[in-house]
Amino acid sequence: MKLILTLLDKTRPLFQEGGRFAALKPIYDAADAFLFSPLTRTSRAPHVRDPLDVKRYMSTVIIAIAPCLLAAIHFFGLRVLAMVLVSYAAGGAVEVLLAMFKKEEINEGLLVTGMLFPLILPPGLPLWMVALGSAFGVLVGKELFGGTGRNLFNPALIGRVFLALSYPRAMSAGWIEPGQGLVGRALEYATDAVTMATPLAAAKSGTWAALPKLFFGNVTGSVGETSALAVLIGGAFLLIIGIANWRTVAAMLGTFVIVTAGIYSGDPHAIIWHLLSGGLLFGAFFMATDPVSSPIMNSAKWVYGAIIGIATALIRNFTGYVEGVMFAILLGNIFAPVLDELFVTAHVRRLREEG
Amino acid sequence: MARLKGGYNIGLAGRPSSRVVDLPVPSRLVLPLASRCFRFGDIRVEEGARVSAGTVLATDPTRFSAPLIAAYGGTVRLDRVADHLILESLDEAPPGGLSGSDSAAPPGAASGSQADARDRLVSLGAWPFITDARTDLPVDPAATANDVIVSTVHLEPFVASADALLKGRLDSFVRGLEHLHELTQGGTVHVAVADDAGFATELAGLIAEHSWCRLHTVVARYPFGHPLLILRALGLGRDPKRPVWAIRTAGVLAIERALSSGAPGVERLIALGGPAVSEPVHLKAVVGYPIDEILENRLCGDDVRVISGGIFTGSDVSPGQSGLDAECEGLTVLRELGERHMLSFAMPGLSRSSYGRTFVSRLCPGGPPERLNTSLAGELRACVSCGQCIDVCPVGILPSVIHKFLHADEIDEVERMRVDLCIECGLCSYVCPSKIELLSDMCDARRLIREEHEAQKKMELKAKLEEEKRLAAKEALAAEEEATA
Ligand code: SF4
Ligand code: SF4
Repeated sequence: MKLILTLLDKTRPLFQEGGRFAALKPIYDAADAFLFSPLTRTSRAPHVRDPLDVKRYMSTVIIAIAPCLLAAIHFFGLRVLAMVLVSYAAGGAVEVLLAMFKKEEINEGLLVTGMLFPLILPPGLPLWMVALGSAFGVLVGKELFGGTGRNLFNPALIGRVFLALSYPRAMSAGWIEPGQGLVGRALEYATDAVTMATPLAAAKSGTWAALPKLFFGNVTGSVGETSALAVLIGGAFLLIIGIANWRTVAAMLGTFVIVTAGIYSGDPHAIIWHLLSGGLLFGAFFMATDPVSSPIMNSAKWVYGAIIGIATALIRNFTGYVEGVMFAILLGNIFAPVLDELFVTAHVRRLREEG
Repeated sequence: MARLKGGYNIGLAGRPSSRVVDLPVPSRLVLPLASRCFRFGDIRVEEGARVSAGTVLATDPTRFSAPLIAAYGGTVRLDRVADHLILESLDEAPPGGLSGSDSAAPPGAASGSQADARDRLVSLGAWPFITDARTDLPVDPAATANDVIVSTVHLEPFVASADALLKGRLDSFVRGLEHLHELTQGGTVHVAVADDAGFATELAGLIAEHSWCRLHTVVARYPFGHPLLILRALGLGRDPKRPVWAIRTAGVLAIERALSSGAPGVERLIALGGPAVSEPVHLKAVVGYPIDEILENRLCGDDVRVISGGIFTGSDVSPGQSGLDAECEGLTVLRELGERHMLSFAMPGLSRSSYGRTFVSRLCPGGPPERLNTSLAGELRACVSCGQCIDVCPVGILPSVIHKFLHADEIDEVERMRVDLCIECGLCSYVCPSKIELLSDMCDARRLIREEHEAQKKMELKAKLEEEKRLAAKEALAAEEEATA
């Protein structure tokens, strides 16, 4: 540990203004800050600060995604790891270039976006498409739509929409037959992508996958979303430590259940089946709860979640699309600023009455 | 009383025990000529003069000539330390003639008219303890109020605790409350007591027969003892014209002492705490006591930050350069951050105390408090909209939203977001994982809005004057015309 610290200290001048690698300063700073806590002291009151920082905040999300990642490797093979690495590399490259260009620090948000993005793609997608989508998500989804902390849309979803519009064939043909048994495909790398129906698509033609398969994730679908069990484990963790807002999740799943119940006249099997299938749970716990593209007020999060839940149920059942979560969340993102305006205004008005 | 929201008690190591240590006569007194509310610009003594205990050394001409009083007799030295007045070769007599031997007013002069009482409080330096509950600034001695909020809930780590202040002095405290009732000509006295205060039942018994005195129990969570929060929770804030005073435990005792025994308010019971203090206790000191002498042999470590007041709102002092100012309620000492830790963000954090739930320590609450130092504990980042600042804010405003509007220069929006309600408790800055200086933003925003309002008022005044001038000129012209006609 001492050694690394000395090494960092020794090489620091190279990366400072005028140093040989001054252009790479953001990379150096990121590595330095990643490995060691900073020496920055408080300069004004309050004189001490809470030990939670953005790095830890983002890391907890990574921990929460881990069960999904493991399940994905089990069902779809080591290729999933390659997708994650490619996503990180491409998104990271864009982020670093932007940071160098704008002379800013590299943002930890990438840790989460880079991991979430491959998990919402078909597991058989060519790696170069993963790279392209990830880069597009960071560049357009995050930078163009407002910049870090102000982006209107979830960057990972923007990357996916981009791919879905540009390469519709690959995006609907990139499925992999899930591995069976104890080991699954965890020791295989490449398997041929096949054109086959996801449970939701099959259901449109009347074939309903068995519930246990949906629950454990033994079905085709996007990389990280198939195993409801893994999503629930990670999601519960996020709710318990308070990083994801439970109101969004509760409102989204609650309204989804109500609308689905209405459509299927209360058939419990259909409701549970729809809850477990597709990207609904993954979207509810990991995508809709993204705080930056959600509204600010807790009260507004109820409405926000409801919009997404209702929209998902409607898109799934009444349009040509078999999966509605992605568009529903983007729709929610669009409404978020409006909800903010309404709820914040109402909130400050109440403050006025309090005096 | 309405329920209070938000707030948080941080787990900071070094809470002062309620043991009170008497400090010896110091080698000299270093009296600050400026404190939060006062600027003692009018110096009444000469260089080299020998003064006795209780002498008025200087006054603040801008605030009802509030006095700076010598706690011990000694020789005056000006200009030794910038902005301070020094007293050397001190007498060994008890501080400030506490026995009443040398004070400005005869002892036992509790009776007398209202005006007398006020004069005595001003001249003995006890009046400044009374503040306007809304502005937190000392009130004018001619003013009066309908209500007085007495807050015994001192929760900021670390300032003198009410338990230490009131040990064996509850009777004096109640007499002080009676004085306040008289000073306000029958105003209601609201006493806020923390729900964990040891003296609550006894106090309730003592004031039971006073119908003008109401006891309110407050959850012991920082900053719930803030008078402004209590004022709003009691619903006294609705009528902005209704004057409300605020005073803290030490102030009530000082008023009682001044009016009952005529002793000047030069003694202070302060807390000495924080992770860098070897034995955190309460200290009995006097105004001007040199801070380096207070800290001598009481610290562990050299590289420390000494804060006058608590860690949320206090300001650093350089020990060699200063003495206790009249408003100080405690000294908190932290170790300065000195070393870097590898991958500390990824550690489970068994001993970390955090507002959120991301550290394992959450599973075993009630663990030992943390030895926090002056680390910023992370890098400055853009807001991640985690909402912690909103959750923790005791007045219910939205610090992250105000921060965004302020940095977009949308000052009208900032005003609409009610930044004026902020009580500057500092919790938002404390909890922010992006390490945004929200407290400074709130202060900046309030200042900007104040300036804008003042500029606007000036403009309006100017326009009004010009309009009047124009009218006058017109009238004069008309009169002239009439005359010529
Ligand atoms: S906005 Fe003001 S009152 Fe609210 S937490 Fe921050 S400093 Fe405290
Ligand atoms: S605590 Fe900091 S990061 Fe979180 S919402 Fe407030 S300003 Fe943003």
